[in-house]
Amino acid sequence: MHTAEKPAEHATSPPCVPGGKKLETVREDEAYIRRAARENWISVVSFLLFLLVWELVCRLGIIGPFQLVPPSQVTWVLLDKLVDPNPDGALLQEHILTSLVVALTGFSAAAVIGVPLGLLMGWYRPVNTLVRPLFDAVRPIPPIAWIPIAILWLGIGLWAKAFIIFLAAFVPCVINSFTGIRLTNPVLIRVARIYGASNWETFLKIGVPSSVAMVFTGLKLSLNAAWTTLVAAELLAASQGLGYMIQLGRRLSRPDIIIVGMLTIGFTGALMSLALTAIESRFASSRKLN
Amino acid sequence: MQPRKIKTKVMSVLAPLASATIFLLLWQAASMIVSSQALPSPATVFKEAIRMFSIKIGGNSIWMHVFYSMRRVLIAYFWAGLLGLPLGMYMGWNRTFDKIVKPVFELLRPIPPIAWIPIAILWLGIGESPKIFICFVGSFVIFVLNSYIGMRYVDSLLIDAARAFGASKRQQLFNVAIPASLPSVFAGVQNALSTAWMCVLAAEMVGAREGVGFLILQGMDLNKPAMILVGMALIGLIGAILAVMLRLLEKGLCPWRKELV
Repeated sequence: MHTAEKPAEHATSPPCVPGGKKLETVREDEAYIRRAARENWISVVSFLLFLLVWELVCRLGIIGPFQLVPPSQVTWVLLDKLVDPNPDGALLQEHILTSLVVALTGFSAAAVIGVPLGLLMGWYRPVNTLVRPLFDAVRPIPPIAWIPIAILWLGIGLWAKAFIIFLAAFVPCVINSFTGIRLTNPVLIRVARIYGASNWETFLKIGVPSSVAMVFTGLKLSLNAAWTTLVAAELLAASQGLGYMIQLGRRLSRPDIIIVGMLTIGFTGALMSLALTAIESRFASSRKLN
Repeated sequence: MQPRKIKTKVMSVLAPLASATIFLLLWQAASMIVSSQALPSPATVFKEAIRMFSIKIGGNSIWMHVFYSMRRVLIAYFWAGLLGLPLGMYMGWNRTFDKIVKPVFELLRPIPPIAWIPIAILWLGIGESPKIFICFVGSFVIFVLNSYIGMRYVDSLLIDAARAFGASKRQQLFNVAIPASLPSVFAGVQNALSTAWMCVLAAEMVGAREGVGFLILQGMDLNKPAMILVGMALIGLIGAILAVMLRLLEKGLCPWRKELV
């Protein structure tokens, strides 16, 4: 007997219960939200204070210019990087584009292969018994550990990095699709069967739609993993991209370049997860209408 | 026993064996098709494993490499838990504190821990401390997030009930909210360790003379795929052992977690 695996939850989403339904945020009733909104100024003040302390620490020379630069200079360098390819040989937007192409290539390949595989593993037991041992053997190896062998096999171009990112994004796709379809309400399955649906039809019409929430959670996790792994791959072997940019910043002892790169990496990553959340909510609402 | 049950039992033993055999055969075939320089055969890798365990690599035995990596991970993990868990819980408990810390935390959160490597090297040099720092950043964020979420999703009914029975604010926190948030906290405890394990690898690959990350990078520099594969297997094995150990600990410490899954 297989036991349902613990679903890998998105770090910021509420805990899941069987059925993939999210627990309601009990402590976030309307009064709470209103009271919380009134206190937003605290956040603004604290953030400004943070920037001020950072600025002062640098201006007063407590931390040297080869370790940290003040936020005003970071902003300046950020704007400058949009038009000046020095010292790392490419504009900021070119670095972003290079990184995005690599990350999305690996990620889409992982989604296209991983999600169907996970769903099939969850629905058809023979597929699971065949694939699972292999999958379990590969899974505990962090994707980063694949970097050296990927470089040996595929060189340091796009394909080596896409391969590593594929591996990183693949695992959450499979696990969450597997768990999602396993949590399908058995009553629904039985109803479909009673009305004469074949196993394949039940899989397509009941199993797949009911696992959408978990699949999307898996995709978000995958995207996160893809982005993290991309940075690692670019740190080790690249001639362009955000990871390369911060690595070069270190070689040149340019903390301003590094900080701009780090913020861009964080911002782009956050933006991508937001985009995926938007797609998810559109997907979910169109499904409700049907 | 019914014949059906026996059949399932036999299958559950045979199927993994079969798929392992198929895997090894495919591997063997693949290594014969592509050059053995790129993909060594399973036998070669096994021999390489025996060789690696009996010699010193880069001045350290393989056990010492594992020890170095583990020490970095555990030091970072300890401090990240010690600071991260209370911080996240208090952020979840006290709204004003949450408002104060949130913006800075949200600015730093989306930056992958690996992206801290260059600046960590710039700040701390290339000794032990930047590696520990990277692992710390990676697991700290997860500790904070999970304890924060765990605290926020505590059923308000439990807290109201405690208040109705006259529990002080302190009692509400320590006797009700913290125990109720433990399942989510534990998810974080596990996640944080595997993240720290991944981070130490990345940090060691960027610049180190010892540790498991150094091991596989050395394999790449020497152009010895067998060495890399042994290193990867070792890394995976240690990661799996860590995960199993934490799962056992979780079972002991919060047995009610099972109901959720």
